[in-house]
Amino acid sequence: MSFLRTLIPFDIAGGMKLTGRYFGKVFFSANRKKVRTEIKHFTQEYPEVAVRLQPRFRGRLTLLKDEQGEIKCVCCLACEKICPTQVITIEKGKKEGRKMPFPVRYDFEMERCIFCEFCVESCGFDSIILNHQFELAGYNREDFSLGMEGMAQNMFEPSPVGRHSVAED
Amino acid sequence: MPIQAIQMTLTQTLVMGLLQIVVVLIAVFIMVPLLTFAERKVIGYIQVRLGATRLAGGHVGITGPMNRVMWSMGKVPMLSILRGLPIFIADALKLITKEDIIPAKADRGVFTLAPIISVMAAFGVFAAVAYYPGVMFYLPKGFPIVGGLPFQGFITDVNVGLLFILGLASVGVYGIVLGAWASNSKYPLLGGLRSAAQIVSYEVPLTLSLLVPVLLAGSLNFKEMSILLATGKGLHPLAIIPLFIGFFVYLTCGFAETNRVPFDLPEAETELVAGFHTEYSGMKFGFFYLAEYANMIVVSALATAFFLGGHYLLPFGLQRFIPETVPFLGQPSFIFFLGKVCFILFVFLWVRATLPRYRYDQLMDVAWKYLLPLTLVNLFIAALIRFAF
Repeated sequence: MSFLRTLIPFDIAGGMKLTGRYFGKVFFSANRKKVRTEIKHFTQEYPEVAVRLQPRFRGRLTLLKDEQGEIKCVCCLACEKICPTQVITIEKGKKEGRKMPFPVRYDFEMERCIFCEFCVESCGFDSIILNHQFELAGYNREDFSLGMEGMAQNMFEPSPVGRHSVAED
Repeated sequence: MPIQAIQMTLTQTLVMGLLQIVVVLIAVFIMVPLLTFAERKVIGYIQVRLGATRLAGGHVGITGPMNRVMWSMGKVPMLSILRGLPIFIADALKLITKEDIIPAKADRGVFTLAPIISVMAAFGVFAAVAYYPGVMFYLPKGFPIVGGLPFQGFITDVNVGLLFILGLASVGVYGIVLGAWASNSKYPLLGGLRSAAQIVSYEVPLTLSLLVPVLLAGSLNFKEMSILLATGKGLHPLAIIPLFIGFFVYLTCGFAETNRVPFDLPEAETELVAGFHTEYSGMKFGFFYLAEYANMIVVSALATAFFLGGHYLLPFGLQRFIPETVPFLGQPSFIFFLGKVCFILFVFLWVRATLPRYRYDQLMDVAWKYLLPLTLVNLFIAALIRFAF
Protein backbone atom coordinates (compact mmCIF):
# COMPACT_ATOMS: atom_id res chain seq x y z
CA MET A 1 0.00 0.00 0.00
CA SER A 2 2.75 2.44 0.91
CA PHE A 3 4.47 1.41 -2.29
CA LEU A 4 1.41 2.47 -4.27
CA ARG A 5 1.28 5.72 -2.35
CA THR A 6 4.86 6.40 -3.35
CA LEU A 7 4.11 5.64 -6.96
CA ILE A 8 0.85 7.55 -7.33
CA PRO A 9 1.24 11.17 -6.25
CA PHE A 10 -1.95 11.62 -4.23
CA ASP A 11 -0.54 14.60 -2.35
CA ILE A 12 0.31 16.41 -5.56
CA ALA A 13 -3.16 15.67 -6.86
CA GLY A 14 -4.66 17.09 -3.66
CA GLY A 15 -2.62 20.26 -3.96
CA MET A 16 -3.51 20.66 -7.60
CA LYS A 17 -7.16 20.22 -6.73
CA LEU A 18 -6.97 22.98 -4.13
CA THR A 19 -5.22 25.49 -6.37
CA GLY A 20 -7.46 24.54 -9.27
CA ARG A 21 -10.49 25.30 -7.16
CA TYR A 22 -9.13 28.74 -6.29
CA PHE A 23 -8.35 29.35 -9.95
CA GLY A 24 -11.89 28.49 -10.93
CA LYS A 25 -13.37 30.67 -8.21
CA VAL A 26 -11.40 33.74 -9.24
CA PHE A 27 -11.66 32.98 -12.96
CA PHE A 28 -15.44 33.01 -12.86
CA SER A 29 -15.71 36.05 -10.58
CA ALA A 30 -12.93 38.25 -11.95
CA ASN A 31 -15.30 40.69 -13.58
CA ARG A 32 -16.83 43.47 -11.55
CA LYS A 33 -20.46 42.51 -12.14
CA LYS A 34 -21.33 42.36 -8.46
CA VAL A 35 -24.94 41.44 -9.12
CA ARG A 36 -24.33 37.94 -10.38
CA THR A 37 -21.09 36.85 -8.81
CA GLU A 38 -19.50 37.75 -5.54
CA ILE A 39 -15.94 39.02 -5.84
CA LYS A 40 -13.52 36.36 -4.58
CA HIS A 41 -10.11 37.93 -5.13
CA PHE A 42 -8.20 40.21 -2.79
CA THR A 43 -6.86 42.65 -5.35
CA GLN A 44 -8.14 46.19 -4.87
CA GLU A 45 -8.30 48.19 -8.10
CA TYR A 46 -8.05 51.37 -6.10
CA PRO A 47 -8.16 54.49 -8.24
CA GLU A 48 -10.96 53.11 -10.40
CA VAL A 49 -12.91 51.08 -7.89
CA ALA A 50 -13.74 52.16 -4.35
CA VAL A 51 -11.60 50.40 -1.78
CA ARG A 52 -13.11 47.65 0.32
CA LEU A 53 -12.09 48.55 3.89
CA GLN A 54 -12.44 46.66 7.11
CA PRO A 55 -15.43 47.89 9.16
CA ARG A 56 -13.19 49.05 12.02
CA PHE A 57 -10.89 51.07 9.77
CA ARG A 58 -9.94 54.33 11.51
CA GLY A 59 -10.09 57.25 9.12
CA ARG A 60 -10.93 60.91 9.65
CA LEU A 61 -12.96 62.17 12.64
CA THR A 62 -16.53 63.16 11.82
CA LEU A 63 -19.50 64.40 13.84
CA LEU A 64 -22.59 62.27 13.48
CA LYS A 65 -26.07 63.66 12.90
CA ASP A 66 -29.39 62.24 14.08
CA GLU A 67 -32.52 61.64 12.02
CA GLN A 68 -33.50 65.31 11.98
CA GLY A 69 -30.09 66.32 10.66
CA GLU A 70 -29.11 67.73 14.05
CA ILE A 71 -25.57 67.28 15.28
CA LYS A 72 -25.66 64.74 18.10
CA CYS A 73 -22.75 66.23 20.05
CA VAL A 74 -23.76 67.71 23.40
CA CYS A 75 -20.38 69.27 24.28
CA CYS A 76 -19.55 67.06 27.25
CA LEU A 77 -15.87 67.59 26.33
CA ALA A 78 -15.01 63.96 27.05
CA CYS A 79 -13.24 63.60 23.73
CA GLU A 80 -11.34 66.84 24.21
CA LYS A 81 -10.14 65.67 27.62
CA ILE A 82 -9.10 62.18 26.62
CA CYS A 83 -7.32 63.15 23.39
CA PRO A 84 -3.59 62.33 23.87
CA THR A 85 -2.45 64.90 21.34
CA GLN A 86 -5.14 67.48 22.11
CA VAL A 87 -6.34 67.93 18.60
CA ILE A 88 -10.00 68.56 19.47
CA THR A 89 -11.25 71.98 20.52
CA ILE A 90 -14.93 72.46 21.31
CA GLU A 91 -16.74 75.75 21.92
CA LYS A 92 -19.97 75.32 23.82
CA GLY A 93 -23.04 77.22 22.70
CA LYS A 94 -26.83 77.38 22.66
CA LYS A 95 -29.27 76.83 19.85
CA GLU A 96 -32.93 77.71 19.48
CA GLY A 97 -35.27 74.83 20.39
CA ARG A 98 -32.59 72.57 21.73
CA LYS A 99 -32.28 71.65 25.37
CA MET A 100 -28.79 70.23 25.23
CA PRO A 101 -25.71 72.35 24.62
CA PHE A 102 -24.71 72.72 21.02
CA PRO A 103 -21.13 72.89 19.70
CA VAL A 104 -20.63 76.27 18.02
CA ARG A 105 -17.15 75.21 17.00
CA TYR A 106 -15.77 71.73 16.80
CA ASP A 107 -12.18 72.01 15.59
CA PHE A 108 -10.09 69.01 14.72
CA GLU A 109 -6.38 69.47 13.97
CA MET A 110 -5.72 66.45 11.83
CA GLU A 111 -2.00 67.10 11.40
CA ARG A 112 -1.39 66.00 15.00
CA CYS A 113 -4.06 63.31 15.19
CA ILE A 114 -2.75 59.79 15.81
CA PHE A 115 -6.06 58.07 14.92
CA CYS A 116 -6.18 56.20 18.25
CA GLU A 117 -10.00 56.30 18.41
CA PHE A 118 -9.96 57.21 22.13
CA CYS A 119 -12.37 60.08 21.44
CA VAL A 120 -14.90 57.75 19.85
CA GLU A 121 -14.58 55.30 22.73
CA SER A 122 -14.99 58.00 25.35
CA CYS A 123 -18.05 59.53 23.70
CA GLY A 124 -21.12 58.65 25.74
CA PHE A 125 -23.59 59.82 23.10
CA ASP A 126 -22.20 58.02 20.05
CA SER A 127 -21.93 61.34 18.33
CA ILE A 128 -18.51 61.01 16.68
CA ILE A 129 -16.86 58.32 14.58
CA LEU A 130 -13.69 57.85 12.63
CA ASN A 131 -15.10 57.39 9.15
CA HIS A 132 -13.65 55.40 6.23
CA GLN A 133 -11.86 58.25 4.50
CA PHE A 134 -8.25 57.43 3.92
CA GLU A 135 -7.26 59.89 1.17
CA LEU A 136 -6.14 62.37 3.81
CA ALA A 137 -3.34 64.15 1.98
CA GLY A 138 -3.75 67.91 1.73
CA TYR A 139 -2.60 70.58 -0.65
CA ASN A 140 -1.70 73.07 2.08
CA ARG A 141 -1.56 73.24 5.83
CA GLU A 142 -5.06 74.63 6.25
CA ASP A 143 -6.46 71.42 4.78
CA PHE A 144 -5.59 69.70 8.03
CA SER A 145 -7.51 72.03 10.35
CA LEU A 146 -11.01 70.72 10.09
CA GLY A 147 -14.16 72.33 11.40
CA MET A 148 -17.89 72.18 11.00
CA GLU A 149 -18.12 74.88 8.37
CA GLY A 150 -16.28 76.10 5.28
CA MET A 151 -15.40 74.29 2.10
CA ALA A 152 -11.74 73.42 2.48
CA GLN A 153 -11.90 72.46 6.12
CA ASN A 154 -15.38 71.01 6.43
CA MET A 155 -15.30 67.66 8.16
CA PHE A 156 -18.59 66.59 6.60
CA GLU A 157 -17.21 66.99 3.10
CA PRO A 158 -14.83 64.54 1.44
CA SER A 159 -11.14 65.26 1.87
CA PRO A 160 -9.39 67.51 -0.68
CA VAL A 161 -7.86 64.51 -2.43
CA GLY A 162 -10.94 62.36 -2.08
CA ARG A 163 -12.92 65.04 -3.89
CA HIS A 164 -11.00 64.16 -7.08
CA SER A 165 -11.57 60.43 -6.68
CA VAL A 166 -12.39 58.63 -9.94
CA ALA A 167 -13.88 55.59 -8.23
CA GLU A 168 -17.17 54.37 -9.62
CA ASP A 169 -19.88 55.24 -7.06
CA MET B 1 -4.62 10.29 -44.78
CA PRO B 2 -2.85 10.14 -48.13
CA ILE B 3 -1.48 13.37 -49.45
CA GLN B 4 -1.58 13.71 -53.19
CA ALA B 5 1.91 14.03 -54.52
CA ILE B 6 2.03 17.35 -56.28
CA GLN B 7 5.08 17.95 -58.39
CA MET B 8 6.73 21.13 -57.23
CA THR B 9 9.70 22.83 -58.79
CA LEU B 10 12.78 23.46 -56.68
CA THR B 11 11.93 27.14 -56.28
CA GLN B 12 8.42 26.27 -55.24
CA THR B 13 9.68 23.78 -52.66
CA LEU B 14 12.09 26.31 -51.23
CA VAL B 15 9.54 29.11 -51.10
CA MET B 16 6.94 26.81 -49.61
CA GLY B 17 9.36 25.64 -46.91
CA LEU B 18 10.34 29.21 -46.16
CA LEU B 19 6.69 30.21 -45.94
CA GLN B 20 5.92 27.43 -43.51
CA ILE B 21 8.95 28.24 -41.39
CA VAL B 22 7.91 31.89 -41.23
CA VAL B 23 4.37 30.97 -40.26
CA VAL B 24 5.55 28.64 -37.50
CA LEU B 25 8.09 31.16 -36.25
CA ILE B 26 5.50 33.92 -36.12
CA ALA B 27 3.09 31.58 -34.34
CA VAL B 28 5.72 30.78 -31.74
CA PHE B 29 6.77 34.40 -31.38
CA ILE B 30 3.14 35.29 -30.70
CA MET B 31 2.54 32.34 -28.40
CA VAL B 32 5.54 32.95 -26.15
CA PRO B 33 4.57 36.47 -25.01
CA LEU B 34 0.98 35.34 -24.68
CA LEU B 35 2.26 32.55 -22.48
CA THR B 36 4.08 35.01 -20.22
CA PHE B 37 0.86 36.97 -19.95
CA ALA B 38 -1.08 33.79 -19.22
CA GLU B 39 1.51 32.93 -16.58
CA ARG B 40 0.88 36.20 -14.75
CA LYS B 41 -2.85 35.76 -14.98
CA VAL B 42 -3.06 32.07 -14.05
CA ILE B 43 -0.70 32.38 -11.11
CA GLY B 44 -2.53 35.51 -10.03
CA TYR B 45 -5.88 33.79 -10.11
CA ILE B 46 -4.58 30.79 -8.22
CA GLN B 47 -3.16 33.08 -5.54
CA VAL B 48 -6.55 34.86 -5.31
CA ARG B 49 -5.18 37.96 -7.03
CA LEU B 50 -6.08 39.41 -10.39
CA GLY B 51 -2.68 39.34 -12.07
CA ALA B 52 -1.78 42.11 -14.49
CA THR B 53 -4.74 44.41 -15.08
CA ARG B 54 -3.13 47.63 -16.27
CA LEU B 55 -0.02 49.27 -17.64
CA ALA B 56 2.11 51.64 -15.60
CA GLY B 57 0.80 55.19 -15.51
CA GLY B 58 -2.67 54.87 -14.04
CA HIS B 59 -5.46 56.77 -15.78
CA VAL B 60 -3.30 59.65 -16.97
CA GLY B 61 -0.37 59.88 -19.35
CA ILE B 62 0.39 57.90 -22.49
CA THR B 63 -1.08 54.64 -21.22
CA GLY B 64 -4.08 56.41 -19.68
CA PRO B 65 -6.65 55.82 -22.45
CA MET B 66 -5.60 52.16 -22.68
CA ASN B 67 -5.94 51.72 -18.94
CA ARG B 68 -9.36 53.35 -19.00
CA VAL B 69 -10.48 50.95 -21.71
CA MET B 70 -9.18 48.01 -19.69
CA TRP B 71 -10.93 49.33 -16.60
CA SER B 72 -14.26 49.31 -18.40
CA MET B 73 -13.45 45.85 -19.79
CA GLY B 74 -13.39 44.64 -16.19
CA LYS B 75 -17.17 44.88 -16.03
CA VAL B 76 -17.70 42.51 -18.94
CA PRO B 77 -17.63 38.85 -17.86
CA MET B 78 -15.42 37.30 -20.54
CA LEU B 79 -13.35 40.33 -21.45
CA SER B 80 -12.24 40.91 -17.88
CA ILE B 81 -9.75 38.06 -18.31
CA LEU B 82 -8.04 39.92 -21.13
CA ARG B 83 -7.31 43.04 -19.10
CA GLY B 84 -3.59 43.66 -18.97
CA LEU B 85 -3.07 41.97 -22.31
CA PRO B 86 -1.03 44.90 -23.74
CA ILE B 87 1.53 44.15 -21.06
CA PHE B 88 3.00 41.42 -23.24
CA ILE B 89 3.95 44.05 -25.82
CA ALA B 90 5.44 46.13 -23.03
CA ASP B 91 7.43 43.12 -21.83
CA ALA B 92 8.82 42.45 -25.28
CA LEU B 93 9.65 46.11 -25.87
CA LYS B 94 11.43 46.27 -22.54
CA LEU B 95 13.58 43.25 -23.38
CA ILE B 96 14.49 44.62 -26.83
CA THR B 97 15.35 48.12 -25.70
CA LYS B 98 17.40 47.20 -22.63
CA GLU B 99 21.15 47.65 -22.65
CA ASP B 100 23.06 44.55 -23.60
CA ILE B 101 25.84 44.22 -21.05
CA ILE B 102 28.73 41.80 -21.46
CA PRO B 103 30.77 41.37 -18.25
CA ALA B 104 34.39 42.58 -18.55
CA LYS B 105 36.00 39.19 -17.90
CA ALA B 106 33.45 37.12 -19.75
CA ASP B 107 34.38 34.97 -22.71
CA ARG B 108 32.78 37.23 -25.29
CA GLY B 109 32.41 34.72 -28.09
CA VAL B 110 30.91 31.93 -26.03
CA PHE B 111 28.85 34.41 -24.07
CA THR B 112 27.18 35.52 -27.28
CA LEU B 113 26.97 32.03 -28.72
CA ALA B 114 25.17 30.45 -25.75
CA PRO B 115 21.75 32.10 -26.12
CA ILE B 116 21.88 31.48 -29.86
CA ILE B 117 22.43 27.76 -29.28
CA SER B 118 19.56 27.69 -26.80
CA VAL B 119 17.15 29.41 -29.17
CA MET B 120 18.26 27.34 -32.17
CA ALA B 121 17.78 24.10 -30.29
CA ALA B 122 14.36 25.19 -29.11
CA PHE B 123 13.16 26.47 -32.47
CA GLY B 124 14.77 23.83 -34.67
CA VAL B 125 12.62 21.20 -33.02
CA PHE B 126 9.56 22.74 -34.64
CA ALA B 127 10.81 21.53 -38.01
CA ALA B 128 9.73 17.96 -37.25
CA VAL B 129 6.56 18.67 -35.28
CA ALA B 130 3.35 17.98 -37.21
CA TYR B 131 0.50 20.25 -36.18
CA TYR B 132 -1.86 18.64 -38.61
CA PRO B 133 -1.09 15.45 -40.55
CA GLY B 134 -2.03 16.65 -43.97
CA VAL B 135 -3.06 19.65 -45.97
CA MET B 136 -4.34 22.46 -43.78
CA PHE B 137 -5.52 24.66 -46.65
CA TYR B 138 -4.69 25.54 -50.23
CA LEU B 139 -2.95 28.80 -50.91
CA PRO B 140 -4.95 31.21 -53.07
CA LYS B 141 -4.25 31.11 -56.79
CA GLY B 142 -2.99 34.67 -56.86
CA PHE B 143 -0.15 33.95 -54.46
CA PRO B 144 3.25 34.58 -56.08
CA ILE B 145 5.26 31.48 -57.09
CA VAL B 146 3.39 29.01 -54.85
CA GLY B 147 -0.21 29.92 -55.72
CA GLY B 148 -2.69 27.06 -55.51
CA LEU B 149 -0.33 24.71 -53.72
CA PRO B 150 -1.29 22.87 -50.53
CA PHE B 151 -0.14 24.31 -47.22
CA GLN B 152 0.74 21.36 -45.08
CA GLY B 153 0.50 21.14 -41.31
CA PHE B 154 4.18 20.29 -40.89
CA ILE B 155 7.42 21.75 -42.17
CA THR B 156 9.24 18.53 -43.00
CA ASP B 157 8.19 14.91 -42.87
CA VAL B 158 11.29 13.39 -41.28
CA ASN B 159 11.03 9.61 -41.05
CA VAL B 160 13.03 9.63 -37.79
CA GLY B 161 11.29 12.77 -36.58
CA LEU B 162 11.24 11.77 -32.94
CA LEU B 163 14.98 11.09 -32.90
CA PHE B 164 15.57 14.44 -34.54
CA ILE B 165 13.44 16.17 -31.91
CA LEU B 166 15.09 14.42 -28.97
CA GLY B 167 18.56 15.00 -30.37
CA LEU B 168 18.03 18.66 -31.04
CA ALA B 169 16.26 19.25 -27.74
CA SER B 170 19.23 17.86 -25.82
CA VAL B 171 21.51 20.37 -27.55
CA GLY B 172 19.68 23.05 -25.58
CA VAL B 173 21.63 22.16 -22.45
CA TYR B 174 24.82 23.31 -24.20
CA GLY B 175 23.40 26.79 -24.40
CA ILE B 176 22.77 26.83 -20.69
CA VAL B 177 26.11 25.33 -19.67
CA LEU B 178 28.16 27.41 -22.08
CA GLY B 179 26.38 30.58 -21.05
CA ALA B 180 26.93 29.75 -17.41
CA TRP B 181 30.60 29.07 -17.92
CA ALA B 182 31.25 32.06 -20.17
CA SER B 183 29.74 34.46 -17.64
CA ASN B 184 32.85 33.98 -15.47
CA SER B 185 30.79 34.24 -12.32
CA LYS B 186 30.05 31.81 -9.51
CA TYR B 187 26.28 31.70 -9.35
CA PRO B 188 25.73 31.16 -13.07
CA LEU B 189 28.33 28.39 -13.01
CA LEU B 190 26.54 26.61 -10.17
CA GLY B 191 23.25 27.04 -11.96
CA GLY B 192 24.71 25.71 -15.18
CA LEU B 193 26.21 22.66 -13.46
CA ARG B 194 22.92 21.88 -11.79
CA SER B 195 21.16 22.30 -15.08
CA ALA B 196 23.54 19.94 -16.85
CA ALA B 197 23.15 17.25 -14.19
CA GLN B 198 19.40 17.65 -14.13
CA ILE B 199 18.81 17.61 -17.85
CA VAL B 200 21.19 14.70 -18.44
CA SER B 201 19.41 12.73 -15.70
CA TYR B 202 15.92 13.44 -16.92
CA GLU B 203 16.79 12.77 -20.52
CA VAL B 204 16.85 9.06 -19.66
CA PRO B 205 13.30 8.59 -18.31
CA LEU B 206 12.03 11.10 -20.87
CA THR B 207 13.36 9.09 -23.77
CA LEU B 208 12.26 5.81 -22.22
CA SER B 209 8.74 7.11 -21.69
CA LEU B 210 8.64 8.24 -25.31
CA LEU B 211 9.73 4.76 -26.36
CA VAL B 212 6.31 3.44 -25.38
CA PRO B 213 4.47 5.22 -28.21
CA VAL B 214 7.33 4.34 -30.53
CA LEU B 215 6.99 0.68 -29.63
CA LEU B 216 3.22 0.68 -29.93
CA ALA B 217 3.19 2.57 -33.20
CA GLY B 218 6.21 0.83 -34.68
CA SER B 219 7.44 4.02 -36.22
CA LEU B 220 9.57 7.08 -35.51
CA ASN B 221 7.76 9.34 -37.91
CA PHE B 222 5.95 12.09 -36.05
CA LYS B 223 2.99 12.17 -38.43
CA GLU B 224 2.46 8.41 -38.60
CA MET B 225 2.86 8.00 -34.86
CA SER B 226 0.37 10.69 -33.98
CA ILE B 227 -2.24 9.36 -36.42
CA LEU B 228 -1.81 5.77 -35.32
CA LEU B 229 -1.82 6.49 -31.59
CA ALA B 230 -4.85 8.71 -31.87
CA THR B 231 -7.04 6.51 -34.04
CA GLY B 232 -5.83 3.38 -32.28
CA LYS B 233 -5.85 1.30 -35.46
CA GLY B 234 -3.94 -1.91 -34.81
CA LEU B 235 -3.49 -1.04 -31.14
CA HIS B 236 -4.58 -3.52 -28.49
CA PRO B 237 -7.21 -2.00 -26.14
CA LEU B 238 -4.87 -2.64 -23.21
CA ALA B 239 -2.32 -0.28 -24.75
CA ILE B 240 -4.05 2.51 -22.89
CA ILE B 241 -2.29 1.39 -19.66
CA PRO B 242 1.32 2.03 -20.72
CA LEU B 243 0.23 5.14 -22.61
CA PHE B 244 -1.49 6.50 -19.52
CA ILE B 245 1.49 5.88 -17.25
CA GLY B 246 3.87 7.09 -19.94
CA PHE B 247 1.98 10.35 -20.27
CA PHE B 248 2.49 11.29 -16.64
CA VAL B 249 6.12 10.21 -16.62
CA TYR B 250 6.71 12.15 -19.82
CA LEU B 251 5.05 15.24 -18.42
CA THR B 252 7.14 15.04 -15.24
CA CYS B 253 10.33 14.73 -17.25
CA GLY B 254 9.14 17.50 -19.54
CA PHE B 255 8.89 19.81 -16.54
CA ALA B 256 12.46 18.93 -15.64
CA GLU B 257 13.70 19.32 -19.21
CA THR B 258 12.28 22.81 -19.53
CA ASN B 259 13.58 23.83 -16.08
CA ARG B 260 10.13 24.62 -14.83
CA VAL B 261 8.88 24.48 -11.25
CA PRO B 262 9.10 22.12 -9.35
CA PHE B 263 12.38 21.27 -11.10
CA ASP B 264 13.67 24.83 -11.59
CA LEU B 265 16.91 24.25 -9.73
CA PRO B 266 19.06 25.93 -12.43
CA GLU B 267 17.40 29.23 -11.65
CA ALA B 268 16.59 28.75 -7.98
CA GLU B 269 16.03 32.37 -7.02
CA THR B 270 16.44 31.77 -3.33
CA GLU B 271 19.86 30.12 -3.54
CA LEU B 272 21.40 31.23 -6.81
CA VAL B 273 20.72 34.80 -7.81
CA ALA B 274 18.99 33.88 -11.01
CA GLY B 275 20.82 30.76 -12.12
CA PHE B 276 22.66 30.49 -15.38
CA HIS B 277 21.41 33.79 -16.78
CA THR B 278 22.49 36.01 -13.88
CA GLU B 279 24.95 37.96 -16.02
CA TYR B 280 22.73 38.17 -19.06
CA SER B 281 20.69 41.23 -19.89
CA GLY B 282 18.76 42.68 -22.75
CA MET B 283 17.91 40.52 -25.71
CA LYS B 284 20.48 37.85 -24.81
CA PHE B 285 18.48 37.15 -21.70
CA GLY B 286 15.39 37.42 -23.85
CA PHE B 287 16.71 34.59 -26.00
CA PHE B 288 17.05 32.27 -23.01
CA TYR B 289 13.56 33.28 -21.97
CA LEU B 290 12.25 32.62 -25.46
CA ALA B 291 13.98 29.25 -25.57
CA GLU B 292 12.47 28.17 -22.26
CA TYR B 293 8.96 29.02 -23.35
CA ALA B 294 9.46 27.57 -26.83
CA ASN B 295 10.63 24.37 -25.14
CA MET B 296 7.45 24.36 -23.10
CA ILE B 297 5.43 24.55 -26.30
CA VAL B 298 7.48 21.69 -27.80
CA VAL B 299 6.96 19.48 -24.76
CA SER B 300 3.24 20.23 -24.86
CA ALA B 301 3.09 19.47 -28.57
CA LEU B 302 4.87 16.13 -28.13
CA ALA B 303 2.66 15.13 -25.20
CA THR B 304 -0.39 16.08 -27.22
CA ALA B 305 0.68 14.21 -30.33
CA PHE B 306 1.87 10.98 -28.71
CA PHE B 307 -0.36 10.62 -25.66
CA LEU B 308 -3.37 12.88 -25.87
CA GLY B 309 -4.47 11.91 -29.35
CA GLY B 310 -3.03 14.86 -31.23
CA HIS B 311 -5.43 16.36 -33.70
CA TYR B 312 -8.24 13.95 -32.80
CA LEU B 313 -10.67 14.52 -29.99
CA LEU B 314 -10.08 11.68 -27.55
CA PRO B 315 -6.72 10.84 -25.93
CA PHE B 316 -4.90 7.51 -25.53
CA GLY B 317 -6.28 5.91 -28.70
CA LEU B 318 -9.87 6.10 -27.49
CA GLN B 319 -10.79 7.79 -30.75
CA ARG B 320 -11.60 4.36 -32.21
CA PHE B 321 -14.95 4.50 -30.41
CA ILE B 322 -16.03 7.51 -32.44
CA PRO B 323 -16.64 6.48 -36.04
CA GLU B 324 -14.96 8.60 -38.67
CA THR B 325 -18.31 9.48 -40.16
CA VAL B 326 -19.24 11.73 -37.25
CA PRO B 327 -19.03 15.25 -38.71
CA PHE B 328 -16.80 17.25 -36.37
CA LEU B 329 -15.84 15.05 -33.43
CA GLY B 330 -14.74 12.12 -35.56
CA GLN B 331 -12.59 14.18 -37.89
CA PRO B 332 -9.06 15.39 -37.25
CA SER B 333 -8.90 19.11 -36.62
CA PHE B 334 -6.18 21.61 -35.84
CA ILE B 335 -8.44 23.05 -33.14
CA PHE B 336 -8.19 19.88 -31.05
CA PHE B 337 -4.40 19.98 -31.29
CA LEU B 338 -4.25 23.63 -30.28
CA GLY B 339 -6.70 23.11 -27.47
CA LYS B 340 -4.74 20.25 -25.98
CA VAL B 341 -1.45 22.15 -26.29
CA CYS B 342 -3.02 25.09 -24.50
CA PHE B 343 -4.33 22.80 -21.78
CA ILE B 344 -0.89 21.30 -21.14
CA LEU B 345 0.63 24.77 -21.11
CA PHE B 346 -2.00 25.66 -18.52
CA VAL B 347 -0.94 22.61 -16.51
CA PHE B 348 2.63 23.94 -16.61
CA LEU B 349 1.47 27.18 -14.99
CA TRP B 350 -0.90 25.39 -12.64
CA VAL B 351 1.91 23.18 -11.33
CA ARG B 352 4.18 26.18 -10.99
CA ALA B 353 1.64 27.88 -8.74
CA THR B 354 1.09 24.74 -6.66
CA LEU B 355 4.25 22.78 -5.99
CA PRO B 356 7.35 23.87 -4.09
CA ARG B 357 10.80 23.24 -5.52
CA TYR B 358 12.52 19.90 -4.95
CA ARG B 359 15.78 19.72 -3.06
CA TYR B 360 18.75 18.72 -5.18
CA ASP B 361 19.08 15.16 -3.84
CA GLN B 362 15.31 14.68 -4.06
CA LEU B 363 15.51 15.75 -7.67
CA MET B 364 18.04 13.07 -8.46
CA ASP B 365 16.06 10.53 -6.41
CA VAL B 366 12.94 11.20 -8.43
CA ALA B 367 14.77 10.70 -11.68
CA TRP B 368 16.88 7.64 -10.92
CA LYS B 369 15.00 5.83 -8.14
CA TYR B 370 11.39 6.27 -9.19
CA LEU B 371 10.96 7.44 -12.76
CA LEU B 372 13.60 5.23 -14.34
CA PRO B 373 12.31 1.90 -12.90
CA LEU B 374 8.76 3.04 -13.59
CA THR B 375 9.50 3.74 -17.22
CA LEU B 376 11.34 0.45 -17.61
CA VAL B 377 8.38 -1.46 -16.19
CA ASN B 378 6.08 0.59 -18.36
CA LEU B 379 8.15 -0.20 -21.42
CA PHE B 380 8.02 -3.88 -20.50
CA ILE B 381 4.22 -3.75 -20.25
CA ALA B 382 4.06 -2.00 -23.60
CA ALA B 383 6.28 -4.59 -25.22
CA LEU B 384 4.16 -7.37 -23.70
CA ILE B 385 0.98 -5.84 -25.08
CA ARG B 386 2.56 -5.25 -28.45
CA PHE B 387 3.91 -8.72 -28.96
CA ALA B 388 1.96 -11.10 -26.73
CA PHE B 389 -1.55 -10.12 -27.78
